Amino acid sequence: MAKVFPRPNFYSEPHFSPCSKWGKYCIESVLGKADYNHNKVNQWTAAIVEQSLTHLVKLGKTYKYIVTCAVMQRSGAGLHTASSCFWDTTTDGTCTVRWENRTMNCIVNVFAVAIIL
Amino acid sequence: MAEQPSLELASSTRVTAADGTEAPHPQATPCGSHPTAPTRGPEEGKAPQLLSRRSSMLSTLLGPPGSRRSSLGPVPGGKRPSVGPWLLHSRVSFSGLPLFQPIPETYLENTYRMQPEEGCRFNAGRVQRVLEGALAGVLGGTAYSPQGSTVLVQSLAELLRGRAKEVVPPRYKLVCHVLLGQHGQQSMLVASRALWDPESDSFASASFCNASLFAVATVHGVYFE
Repeated sequence: MAKVFPRPNFYSEPHFSPCSKWGKYCIESVLGKADYNHNKVNQWTAAIVEQSLTHLVKLGKTYKYIVTCAVMQRSGAGLHTASSCFWDTTTDGTCTVRWENRTMNCIVNVFAVAIIL
Repeated sequence: MAEQPSLELASSTRVTAADGTEAPHPQATPCGSHPTAPTRGPEEGKAPQLLSRRSSMLSTLLGPPGSRRSSLGPVPGGKRPSVGPWLLHSRVSFSGLPLFQPIPETYLENTYRMQPEEGCRFNAGRVQRVLEGALAGVLGGTAYSPQGSTVLVQSLAELLRGRAKEVVPPRYKLVCHVLLGQHGQQSMLVASRALWDPESDSFASASFCNASLFAVATVHGVYFE
């Protein structure tokens, strides 16, 4: 008889809270007290995304992850972001972390898509 | 299932009894929907037990035929009376409340498919062209406004997701992410990284810029395994 694995729910505690926690932690560790620097923003975003993904992998859940990071210089201009997903709402989910300091805004999105075993 | 047919049978028999024997009875009219206690005969079977059980919830005495019981009365044409949950559910607990059947969980059969079929992969170039066309079409003549952009970006995300869904093969989950900002003197960078199967999953992105706003749209396609 085939074993039926329980379908995970992303918005339950074991999955959702680590995502937001690690997202915040990664942004703080990379951007911290830095000011916006156009030359460094490339490596900043790469570092944030890579560290977030590494921490998510270490959770060991059966999820595929998509992490996006947007860093914008603060100059008074407005910014809106939206996302629309076609997936299984019972198992998949998203987590967004917003961070800002004096000179820049940072938005990290984590999308988690379940692998059904 | 036992209660339902007996009730119907009871209602129909009550009609014939009323017409046949209780003609002078003021309440036993063809369109009457007020069956009284005396007209209920022994042919009712389980019906009076059901009704008396329900009335025991309201009072210990057998109350006057109120609107509650009247809804179960005979209706001309022999149509089933439309009532609350008691007749709609086949089972009723001893307290008179309906017992809801649990919805059985369906387990889908294993397809044993590990990867998308040949030629049915996420085509990044095609999706990118679709995104560029959609962005240019929607935002071509639009100007940035703080209030309007909130609704605009949400509808844009849904629109792009719908457009991408048309060109993407089945068994793909889509994540569509749109950033819309005011075109000022600031600089911005959007980066993304994913943990997935690179042979089956991919992404496409497009950007648009005009004098007052800029937009960046990304669609990630993840194979549903």
